[in-house]
Amino acid sequence: MSSQASPMPSQASPGSGRAAYRRKPLIWGGKLQELGMLLPACILITIFLLVPFLSSFEIALTNQRLIPRPVPVRFVGLDNFTRILTDPGFWTALWNVTRFTIMVLPVQCGFALAIALLLNQKLPYRNFFRGLFFLPAITSMVVVCVIWSTLFQYPTGPFNQIVGFLSFGLVGPIDWLGDPNWAMPSIVLLSAWQAYGFQMIVYLAGLQNIPETLYEAAELDGANRWQRFWHVTMPSLRQTHIFVLIITTIQAFKLFTQVNILTQGGPRGTTDTLVHYMFTAGFVDQRLGLASAVAILLFLIVLVVSLVQRFVVRDRR
Amino acid sequence: MSTVTSASAPAHVAKLSEPRDIGAIVKFVAVLIIALVVISPLFLLFVASLKTDRFEILADMGSFRAFWVSDPSLQNFADIATFSGALPFGRYLVNSLIILFCTVLGGVFLNSMAAFVLAWGRLPGRAVVLTGLIGLYIVPQESIVLPLLSLVNKAGLGDSFAAQILPWMASPLYIFLIYQFFIQVPRDVYDAATVDGASPFRIYWSVFLPLSLPVLATVAILLGIETWNQYLWPLMVTQTDRARPISVGIASFFGHDSVYWNSAMAASVMMMVPVLIFYLAFQKWFVSSFISSAVKG
Repeated sequence: MSSQASPMPSQASPGSGRAAYRRKPLIWGGKLQELGMLLPACILITIFLLVPFLSSFEIALTNQRLIPRPVPVRFVGLDNFTRILTDPGFWTALWNVTRFTIMVLPVQCGFALAIALLLNQKLPYRNFFRGLFFLPAITSMVVVCVIWSTLFQYPTGPFNQIVGFLSFGLVGPIDWLGDPNWAMPSIVLLSAWQAYGFQMIVYLAGLQNIPETLYEAAELDGANRWQRFWHVTMPSLRQTHIFVLIITTIQAFKLFTQVNILTQGGPRGTTDTLVHYMFTAGFVDQRLGLASAVAILLFLIVLVVSLVQRFVVRDRR
Repeated sequence: MSTVTSASAPAHVAKLSEPRDIGAIVKFVAVLIIALVVISPLFLLFVASLKTDRFEILADMGSFRAFWVSDPSLQNFADIATFSGALPFGRYLVNSLIILFCTVLGGVFLNSMAAFVLAWGRLPGRAVVLTGLIGLYIVPQESIVLPLLSLVNKAGLGDSFAAQILPWMASPLYIFLIYQFFIQVPRDVYDAATVDGASPFRIYWSVFLPLSLPVLATVAILLGIETWNQYLWPLMVTQTDRARPISVGIASFFGHDSVYWNSAMAASVMMMVPVLIFYLAFQKWFVSSFISSAVKG
């Protein structure tokens, strides 16, 4: 349509004349249109991300309730923060999520690396296997909880059968999700199973970037398989390790769904987490101010972990 | 490597090849067994969803009968498919599909449009917007949901589809992913389109969109999985069955004294099937999508 409307281009100064003729209205119209294209996304992000984020800092300084009460909202200064920091329940939640992170990191990343190494060899139907191993990663955590709660079943579930069989019946049935000692390790196992696929493909991509010549050189030097793994593969994966550890840590600190569904933070608070603590304070108990203070602390933790990543990665480059 | 040896010493290779083949077969079988063991919980889910007796499901789990169903029945699926009953799973599934469809369609469109302007537009202040977006990317969803809930309730959007679609359509991460793709498009492509006098939207729509199918697919897949698996937000924002998604519906099975495992299993399968269909159709895209989301960090 635009080309038909152009006035004969073969007059006095063809190129510039044409451009001047149509650029002028277009710059204005074009910029307006660009604004129209950029604004919808920016408005949504402002309303639903920026405003709630900024307002959480304001709410955290008040005694606001989730469902407003007739009494006016009062400014309480840093009361919410002091209340949290002196609440043993908060420290339990923080300790639990730290414990979860420390346990899930080696299990999940180690398993992911092992499977990635397995799939990085010459293997028929490799892509099929990769797809199969990736399946849990696209399975919803809710669905994972349904299956795994039957696996953890007390006293006759599969895990109890396997433990009983391997120990010749010496180790009695364990109430995996109901025993304060076992609830968190059980959540760790389930979480690692659901999420390892992501770390696996990241490791697989990392492994494929290691030049073959490094292995050939190591082989010429007489390095065996084990030595090649420790002195070629592991150092070459350094960047990948850092990345995987950071991402897994951030994910781990947000632990909520499986705890909310399977244990509700129990037994005896041994699986209460930061997000679960925030959810209970803000949604169940309706104390929005208190919960916003927890949300800010959660944000600060994520921020610090991300900044650590920035610096570590920058150092290496 | 093997070709070199076969050229120099064919007799030697003939001897070597046999244990090598066996080694390859052993390796293949080993990987297969590991894969089957790792994936077996998903298989158990599908088997259990075909058993109608909830006590039988629990009793079978502890033995090898968990892998087998003697009289498969689709009764569980028929039960949960109705819109009535204590937990109307048919309704939840439809709700989830509506939320998924709107979020992904709107998200791909809005994010790519914004990314185009940020990458190729002439608006002043684009760099500021881009920096702001990258800064916001770090804010975790978990730390804004409660203020957001209070905001949504005040706006009268509580317990609605809009409350589950609008907040997550536009996202700094996806704008940035598409932006990175767009800036790699050669300048000539853009210039050729401007010389023809096309408007920005026209250039975006008929030149850049067709070019960027891979990155749009990536965003659609990541946003789709994220939307489908949302839990915390719909748990808080939905109060009735009207707009409740299937994830929250399934979770409400727990916490009762007796869990109806047969229905829970069937509902879980229903939640997995749409993802599985897309996954089987676009497996390569799924894996590369997750990798590209990782590279951004």
